[in-house]
Amino acid sequence: MGETDDVTDAVRRATQGESSAFSELYRLTRPLVARMVAGFGTLDPDEAEDILQESYVRAFRGLPQLKTAGAFTPWLLTIARNRARTRLERRNLLQRLEEERADPTPETVPALPPTLQVERDIEVVRQLIAELPEGEEKKTVQLFYIEGQLSAREIAEQLGVGKSTVTMRLERFRGRIKRELLQRVLAGRWD
Amino acid sequence: MRHLDAAAMAELAQRDPAAVAWFREHLASPCEVCETFLATHMDPLDGHADALLLALAPARKAEAQGATVVPLRTPPRARRFTPPSGRYLGWMAGALAASVLMVVLVPLVKGPARGTTEWTGEKGPGRISLELAVVARGTDGGLRRLDSGADVTSDEVLLLRYHATESGTALLYQQREHQAPELLGRFALDAGTHDLEGPDGLTGVSLESDEGRLSLVLVAFAPGESATEQDALAALDADGSPDARPGTVSRFDVRVQSGQTLAP
Repeated sequence: MGETDDVTDAVRRATQGESSAFSELYRLTRPLVARMVAGFGTLDPDEAEDILQESYVRAFRGLPQLKTAGAFTPWLLTIARNRARTRLERRNLLQRLEEERADPTPETVPALPPTLQVERDIEVVRQLIAELPEGEEKKTVQLFYIEGQLSAREIAEQLGVGKSTVTMRLERFRGRIKRELLQRVLAGRWD
Repeated sequence: MRHLDAAAMAELAQRDPAAVAWFREHLASPCEVCETFLATHMDPLDGHADALLLALAPARKAEAQGATVVPLRTPPRARRFTPPSGRYLGWMAGALAASVLMVVLVPLVKGPARGTTEWTGEKGPGRISLELAVVARGTDGGLRRLDSGADVTSDEVLLLRYHATESGTALLYQQREHQAPELLGRFALDAGTHDLEGPDGLTGVSLESDEGRLSLVLVAFAPGESATEQDALAALDADGSPDARPGTVSRFDVRVQSGQTLAP
């Protein structure tokens, strides 16, 4: 997904203090962030909404530090993932008070590569999904990422498995994608 | 063979030439160990990975609902989580003590191994000693410690805790009677006694739609041991043969009954 012109434009206007640009950014990016949070099957809808709100508060507060408007969406997604994980870690009954994860600074999240490259990367991801062996994991990944209509909770219900099982399957597949991305960074295809 | 860990990621961030060269080649093909690390650790690739994956589905229209209330202020703090119950801590403390005692006492009771061959001088990867403790959480939040073979009800969730003598990687399987084992997930193990945690925190195994005998099996591999699903399945096949390698198998059996949570 390349950063759209609309998002980039809204980021620029928001950094200049235009208040309507915050609403625009929220409206444009919320569906994507909500989908990502919906991948955590053990979060209930209220918790997911809390995480969304916390993420935007933190992102908007950190917006002046963002040097590249094109880096906004991945940065926002990283913040939301951090919030979700922190929330879930609080549930760990025996885990002592642990420092919360710090939000990533915008400089650590590079801008997305050019649109053409992103389209190629999406094709690679589609190929990786196609190459998964037929089975429950592939079905889970297709339902969540390809069809994109069901949350992890709904997928768990449909497949008759636990919510955490669905999250684990999605996380395992994300690990593969991250390995692919890291290899590309190291090979100089992304910087 | 070197795999990704925190030190390797730091070297890569600093563009250490040797680390970059090694991992550029190593990551060109699938590696379960590195993918497990990447799946459970946060780094700057996360946002991009999510953006790519979420771009696969047809784009949804920007939401009208909620878009009018832009969250510019910190929302109220989370309010529905209760602190750890003393009861759970008590059960887990008991389970921990029992696990540690088992690790210490069983070799003493059994005495020194007989008929074993002398050390050949060859060094291999260390073997993990592993104990598994399980607590059932009922719909009312009540917790009860289980012994292997215990009865549970399908509305309960099983929480797992392990004691490992060293760090490593583990694969968790569930196996219903007369069925093949089903992989539930991969986990990084730390030495000592810990809750079994997945990417979204404490691992709870839901028993919804289950009935009859069910085994939870943790297969642990020491660093340096190959830890693929094939290795784990081979270890499961060799379950009962303590000298089989690689992998250490710890099994916990329950019998799932439909109905209400059992009284503690």
